[in-house]
Amino acid sequence: MGPDISHHPLAGADGSATISSNLYSVLAAVNGPIEVQRRDELPEEAAIEVNIRPASGVGGPRERWLESVVTAVLRSVLLVHMHPRTLIQVTLQLTTGPTLKLKNATRDISVLPSLVNAAFLALVDGGLPLQSTVTAVLLAVSGEEVISIDPAEKELAGCKSVHALAYTQHGDLLLNESAGNFNLEVWEEVADRAEKACVAAVALASEDDEMANGTAEAAPWLRRELEEKARDAVAWRDHT
Amino acid sequence: MATSTILLPGEVVPTDQLPKLKKGTLTLGPGLRHIPPSTILSTTAGALHVDHKKSALWLEHSNGRYQPAGGDLVIAQVHHGGAESYSCSLTPYTPFASLGQLAFEGANKKTRPQLKAGDLVYARVSKASKWDDTEIECFNSGTGKAEGMGPLKGGMLFQVSPLFARRLMMGTDKDGTSKGGVVVLEEVGEKVKFEVAVGRNGRVWVDSGSVRETLAVGKLLVQADEQGLNVEAQRKAVKKVLKDV
Repeated sequence: MGPDISHHPLAGADGSATISSNLYSVLAAVNGPIEVQRRDELPEEAAIEVNIRPASGVGGPRERWLESVVTAVLRSVLLVHMHPRTLIQVTLQLTTGPTLKLKNATRDISVLPSLVNAAFLALVDGGLPLQSTVTAVLLAVSGEEVISIDPAEKELAGCKSVHALAYTQHGDLLLNESAGNFNLEVWEEVADRAEKACVAAVALASEDDEMANGTAEAAPWLRRELEEKARDAVAWRDHT
Repeated sequence: MATSTILLPGEVVPTDQLPKLKKGTLTLGPGLRHIPPSTILSTTAGALHVDHKKSALWLEHSNGRYQPAGGDLVIAQVHHGGAESYSCSLTPYTPFASLGQLAFEGANKKTRPQLKAGDLVYARVSKASKWDDTEIECFNSGTGKAEGMGPLKGGMLFQVSPLFARRLMMGTDKDGTSKGGVVVLEEVGEKVKFEVAVGRNGRVWVDSGSVRETLAVGKLLVQADEQGLNVEAQRKAVKKVLKDV
């Protein structure tokens, strides 16, 4: 379970990753810490620049807004004070998107989790200092108030509201964007489900057995992915 | 080390993994940070390594940009020269490191190496701080000896990952087996004569009699890095290439 991930597909960037969920594919590249332009320089911390490029055409106000949201999430994940007066540059290229015609607001929200997850994986690949492990999920609430995690395109097209949430492994909320018609009770239930899904994505393997009879999204896909990558990096030690 | 602990960003290092402290201080390497009084957190995903003798621990990580640290041997490229020092680049798009005009073996105001833009030097990081510019030098400032450092003339430069550069620099055990699991240089060295310099910033400089041989050595190193070849595969690759040279 979980999206398809490949690590370090780009040789030129310091860190990179691709992630393909059932809706979007994103290619993320990270460069940093690098020299910052004088006007962007911050005396005590690293500046973060996020560039989002849509699958076709050039970016517009929509991409600028997405960039501002992703930047805010990354700022709270990165330990920006470890590299003062530098720049951490994140480029996110969308490669595929949903084929069905979605409402504009739904489309904007639904891409956020993929962007955040891709950016996070690229940051890990680039070895940048991070405060915590973050996972983002997309949830859709249908007309009958049924909540689905990682909804399919059809569910998304016919849903009442969509929610993008991101949590750290300790259950701290880092991203909360919603669109559509919903009330506070629904949101609270959504947030609860999202937190469980995010924490489960990085849950320890020993807790895995307890969750074996849970839902499919409870699989710790992010932990598995990162552990596998870390093992590959030290595989040469076993060869000697 | 088949069962090394893998940590994700923001996880606490288990206290039973810490080296048993008899005396002295605990040394934290890359990928870890200390939160007083006694919490040690990881800042990236990687395998935890502990050196009990030096009471040091660090996270092993393969990619990412080179961060200068005092004492590292690096290959720097001169960008431009000034009255007092040369500005050199260690990694692309980072502020230049300064290399003093007189920071060479036997250099004085009258005789000193004249470096042009683009020239390469093998140097040691003498000062590295996140608040200040990095400084490098081409001699041991304590003894005044070059210790193998200095301008690199001729040859070619190859890019490898920082981890691979570190493996290349690990050297060999007493019985001659490579600690880093890289045998390319030794294997090629039996047939072809060449000079090599490895910088911690992921740069390898190779020089030999001909362009063909230089390229062969460099490409073998890059191949071993990118494809993650083990010792056996490295030997095979070397044999194949040596046939053509």
